[in-house]
Amino acid sequence: MTPYIPILSRREILGRWGGGFGSLALAQLLGLEALGDESKTAPPEFNGGLHHPAKVRRVIQLFMNGGASPMDTFDYKPELARLHGQMIGPKEKPEGFTAPAGAVMKSPFEFKQYGESGRWVSSVFPELSKRVDELAFLMAMTTKTNVHGLGSYLMNTGFILPGFPCMGAWISYALGSLTENLPAFVVLPDARGLPYNQRANFSAGFLPAKHQGTVIQAATSSQAVPDLFADPKYPFASGVADSEGIALLQHMNRQHAADHPADSRLEARIASCELAAKMQLSAPEAFDLSRESEITRKGYGLDNKVTEDFGRRCLLARRLIERGTRFVQVWSGAQGAVLNWDNHANIQTELPIMANSVDRPISALLDDLKARGLMEDTLLIWTTEFGRTPFAQASMGRDHNGGTFVTWLAGAGIKPGVAHGRSDDLGYQTAEGKTYCYDLHATILHLLGIDHTKLTVRNAGIDRRLTDVHGHVIQPILA
Amino acid sequence: MRNLIPRGQFVRLAAILAPFLGLGGMLANASDDPALVAFFETKIRPVLVEHCQKCHGSELPTPKGGLQLDSRNGLRKGGDSGPVVVVGKPEESPLYQAIAHSGEVSAMPPKTKLTPSVVADFHRWIAQGAVDPRTEPASPAKGGTPSTDWWSLRPLKRPEVPSLGEVGTQWSRTAIDRFIYLKLTDAKLQPAPESDRRTLIRRVSYDLTGLPPSPQEVNAFVRDPDPNAYELLIDRLLASSRYGERWARHWLDLIHFADTHGFEHDVLRPNAWRYRDYVIESFNVDKPWPRFIQEQLAADVLCKNEPRLKSALGFLGAGPYDQSAAATAPMAFEYLDRDDLVTQTMGAFVSTTANCARCHAHKFDPISQEDYFSLQAVFAGIGKGDISYDEDQGVEQQRSHWKSVLAACDQEQTDLLFSPENRSLVAAWEQSRSAMNAWIPLDVDVFVSSGGADLKREPDGSILSGGTRPDKETTTLTVTSRLSEIHGLRLDVLADPSLPLSGPGRMDNGNLHLSEFEAMVFRPGQPKPEKLKFRRATADWNQVDWGIARAIDGNPATAWGIYPKVGESHHAVFEFEQPLKLSSDARLVVVLKQLHGGGHILGRLRLSATSSPGETSIALPALADSALQIPIDQRSAEQNKALASAVLKVHAEVEIAKLPAQVKVYGAASMAENDRGLIAFASPRIVTILNRGELDKPGEQVVAGSLSAVTALKARFELSDPSNEAARRVALADWIADPNNPLTWRSIANRVWQSHFGRGLCDTPNDFGRMGGLPSHPELLDWLAAELRDQGGSLKHLHRLICRSSVYRQASIHREEAAAIDPENRLLWRMNRQRLDADAFRDTVLAVSGRLDLTMGGVGIALFQSRPGPQLTPTLDYSAFDWDSPGAGRRSIYRVVWRSIPDPLMEALDFPDASLLAPIRGFSVSPLQTLALLNNNFVLNQSGHLASRVKASQATTADQIREAFRLTLLRDPTPEESSRFVAIADKHSLAAACRLLLNCNEFLFVE
Repeated sequence: MTPYIPILSRREILGRWGGGFGSLALAQLLGLEALGDESKTAPPEFNGGLHHPAKVRRVIQLFMNGGASPMDTFDYKPELARLHGQMIGPKEKPEGFTAPAGAVMKSPFEFKQYGESGRWVSSVFPELSKRVDELAFLMAMTTKTNVHGLGSYLMNTGFILPGFPCMGAWISYALGSLTENLPAFVVLPDARGLPYNQRANFSAGFLPAKHQGTVIQAATSSQAVPDLFADPKYPFASGVADSEGIALLQHMNRQHAADHPADSRLEARIASCELAAKMQLSAPEAFDLSRESEITRKGYGLDNKVTEDFGRRCLLARRLIERGTRFVQVWSGAQGAVLNWDNHANIQTELPIMANSVDRPISALLDDLKARGLMEDTLLIWTTEFGRTPFAQASMGRDHNGGTFVTWLAGAGIKPGVAHGRSDDLGYQTAEGKTYCYDLHATILHLLGIDHTKLTVRNAGIDRRLTDVHGHVIQPILA
Repeated sequence: MRNLIPRGQFVRLAAILAPFLGLGGMLANASDDPALVAFFETKIRPVLVEHCQKCHGSELPTPKGGLQLDSRNGLRKGGDSGPVVVVGKPEESPLYQAIAHSGEVSAMPPKTKLTPSVVADFHRWIAQGAVDPRTEPASPAKGGTPSTDWWSLRPLKRPEVPSLGEVGTQWSRTAIDRFIYLKLTDAKLQPAPESDRRTLIRRVSYDLTGLPPSPQEVNAFVRDPDPNAYELLIDRLLASSRYGERWARHWLDLIHFADTHGFEHDVLRPNAWRYRDYVIESFNVDKPWPRFIQEQLAADVLCKNEPRLKSALGFLGAGPYDQSAAATAPMAFEYLDRDDLVTQTMGAFVSTTANCARCHAHKFDPISQEDYFSLQAVFAGIGKGDISYDEDQGVEQQRSHWKSVLAACDQEQTDLLFSPENRSLVAAWEQSRSAMNAWIPLDVDVFVSSGGADLKREPDGSILSGGTRPDKETTTLTVTSRLSEIHGLRLDVLADPSLPLSGPGRMDNGNLHLSEFEAMVFRPGQPKPEKLKFRRATADWNQVDWGIARAIDGNPATAWGIYPKVGESHHAVFEFEQPLKLSSDARLVVVLKQLHGGGHILGRLRLSATSSPGETSIALPALADSALQIPIDQRSAEQNKALASAVLKVHAEVEIAKLPAQVKVYGAASMAENDRGLIAFASPRIVTILNRGELDKPGEQVVAGSLSAVTALKARFELSDPSNEAARRVALADWIADPNNPLTWRSIANRVWQSHFGRGLCDTPNDFGRMGGLPSHPELLDWLAAELRDQGGSLKHLHRLICRSSVYRQASIHREEAAAIDPENRLLWRMNRQRLDADAFRDTVLAVSGRLDLTMGGVGIALFQSRPGPQLTPTLDYSAFDWDSPGAGRRSIYRVVWRSIPDPLMEALDFPDASLLAPIRGFSVSPLQTLALLNNNFVLNQSGHLASRVKASQATTADQIREAFRLTLLRDPTPEESSRFVAIADKHSLAAACRLLLNCNEFLFVE
């Protein structure tokens, strides 16, 4: 049985607490405003922020599943060329390596400097490299594990163990949605499959279930939102039958609520039914990419097999945040031995496949967000669960390495063209300006107007935070 | 997660400000009136926190005016100019004057004015006594350890049952009611009237079985003239097997049980369900609570007489398992895995957050890091995986007996080999051997070498291999036999002077490797040969690690060898699984695969057959064979040993093969088998305190133990053999199950209460520490805990007491005046309305549609389609499941719960994340949930079945609608409802109307 929820009707709360608090109970049950409802009484300059003015109202996170190699993308390490072939790595297999460390391996890709900022980028990102001046790099991200499952949990939830809410769920809980017509937190996994940990990466943990990521299979699903409409094989639940039926259902439920007064849960169910109907009307439009111009579709790479899937999901992410979804997570790569960023066997052949699939879509997304003015209040994050070893695995692959990896951010509140932190000369460990997921999460929450130390929920005796007991806002990358 | 509104609102506010507040400050004094406490918590404290503490907090170096409003003492003490609250007199209280902008004190807060309603709240609060439940210290303990003087840790004594006046006594049916009534009257509250019988039967059916009553059961109960009808109903429900299924779900939630690993490789645990069945059965038989605890932690040691209870060890394996980390990062894995088990065990059994002491002493509760790591040490020797066992004790004993005989054969333990029983076995064998039919040589018609050796038939009928020695060889022989029934074949490999070192192999060292020995029979009129299976192979001599069994294991990479006993003949016997009936026109083909390479091929061979059955024809080692050639009294001890070993080994194997196969449960014990093979530690891992919880900062070594805060019990276990891991688990089980462990009894009594009222007397059922909630009725909780402990640990006894009580029978109706005093209904002035949880919803839909399948137990039902994923984790498609397939109507407890790929319908209805210990089911409402309930294939499919069901029994639409109402809502429709539902049914089909009934709040909520 569900726990008892003390019952105060909306009217009653309105009467007792005044308007500001009155709608809170209902809105919170519905997950519309969540904590953000306080913004209704907060000064307008808070811009939806819970604790201070927000610079960001919506977030798109691009997650490179598998551990994108830093020294073959953004972290130029000339020292690797000098030491190429030397056995200077750890003698014993470190925890989480899948094999003993091999010889130092230089990057097989050519690096060049780009833009005013002079960022080094390898040849795997020909488009993105032209836009480095818009990005702020964290060059010394680090993690606590070399294992995919644990690493993915850490980057998503701030804990290496399962059962904790992910960042999207926290943000949904704290700020709710900007629209009643779409879910607050949407996850767009790779068409080839779910990442490590499957859906547990998108879990609401101990937060109410409604804050979990709504997972949408953009390529295959006929429905914008799961169960948005009945399967056509049940005609009695479609079309007019559906709308007339819901009208009667609402009538029944209103009568029931009147006979059982002062229970906000009953009223919330009635309200949620109205919202569901609204969602039925507007969600399909949000997911209809055919409404985009040919130029836009091409820009995102929808005309090319290599970029089609990731491009489609980047474009969809833009449409969703444009329409009020608060947080969209776009995954590149499924779990598995190939076709993700977990390039154990051969960096030279495996990495470009992945890089090619995202380079144009991400670049288009950056351009598009800017052109539409969405960058004014949107944050774009590119990250992964850990880095890769400077030592070869077998002859041409790289193993897991939590020591150091790269993340970049762009958009509202971000200082463009900067880099924070530095890895050591091999790119094996961090050298300075080390940042953990806690710091990244704290920074993202900060931009959303949330003090990460204050967003807590008590679970099993502990006031839990996204940032555990850690986290510092990374000031050097903030505008 | 607390889902409390308006307190929830406070919790959120307070939670946001918690770091400034000092969390201990959230707790009330048990003695305070809960209604007033609730008023303070919801109306006063949030305002103090939000508007006052920034300047008047104890954390500040110089609180403004010397006034600290973040603790009771601070508030009582007042500021530099004296007290700020005059209890009972708001107008005279400077605090009130300040916020009301009346009197001479400075108006507060300085820049804003609080709303009139807030000011009015403060007026009321001070007028009613300024109850302030906040305790000291407000901040985490600095240096010192938090005190063990805490409600949950105090020794459990049975409190006096309050005596009441006439009205109260009349109202009270049970001791429970007296505790409740006393608090109600203290708060000037009256209990609600008793529910009608229809409401009662629905409520109690859900609480005890998770299923609704049928319309017939409702009718019978409503009309039952028996004054004990309700009591009998309770007994009937408690006796139903549905009870165990319901309660198993509560328990499995609590210990994050699932059917898969979780993490990166989220694969199925095909044997996890046996634990689920164990839990169901345990609740159904009302297993005494201490026994339930002990079995789950140490059934392997404590239940020697009932080996089938090893399924209880599934408790230890209930949680997630990171197969990838276990393989590549074992140190971190084991540490975190033990942590999870400690958290689960202490949360489930004693409602304690021991894991908070992993990195440092618990900030709020008296739990040291040593306590925590002592608990880790309890689990420092277990392996997680499948545990194999016999369900029957007799079988287990036989298996163990024959295994010891096998060991005796290997180690030549003469005491056992020559036991009277075994002597007579060997003697009997010898008798049957002497009666054995001879080995009849087979006539080889055709022989072919695939490797290109030159095969020649010798005068004695044997085949000699000569010519160029092939690297590998397959010899195929077509033979006939005079025998019409063959039980076994014998292969002689013979020494021959033409072979290296006289053979019998052609390898330079005389060895040979027989990879596979295969036989097939061609019968006339049959196009394909019939491949023959062997039951057993024996040989007179086996090279170490190259035993004869490898020649019939179907694996060409393994083989039989005879090194170093070269230069002499050897033989092997292959016994058919079924005797081979051979007509004269049938042809037997024997294939000898010699695929090892390097010229390990047979030199000279001969085949023969016997019609004697079974064990009599086994191949014997030379020494044993020599014994048979001489009279018994002339045999040497060595000969006797060899003979007994050879005979008993085969006999023991035969006996073991006859036993029913062992079963498996996924769990943990001293030994378990998982993807990495057999997991068994030679001795438990050494566990040390870890500085800040970090693996690379080890400190002092600890011994197995538990919480020092339970002062009645020894916190460090004194074990005679500390290296015995199981003894550690036994010790913890005993510690938890001890009658003097106050946490254990309070914990489970509170959970039982929660299952009936939707909320525990303590509303943080997994945390009875200072971060948790305080019990609303501490004396009642203690009385229930003592009752449970003293009445044999019977949960059903407690259910019976609670269900019979007047407080439980109350109506759930809202009363404005009562809500004004106790808006959260902590004092239970009425029954709580509860929404069906995911499992109850699904089971109810099946029950009303007529599709509920009450088959109990066994392998879980997968409510999805599964196909291989890119890695080990499969891809699941819940929407593709066929709801009319067999098993689709089983109760939800039997569903396969895939940890990281949840069922969307169940998840929408707040089924918990199976990686999370879930002592409370959450409650949420969202448009996505609404859509799932309206459009999920399960609901739509069942709407159709419900429609068919009522159509089958009723002719007119109106009657069908009435029947559907009776099934779902247990009542008749009103005339208006009837006409509207008939209209929908007539226009859009009856299923459309049924879908609405499955979605309406009256169906989803229980009064």
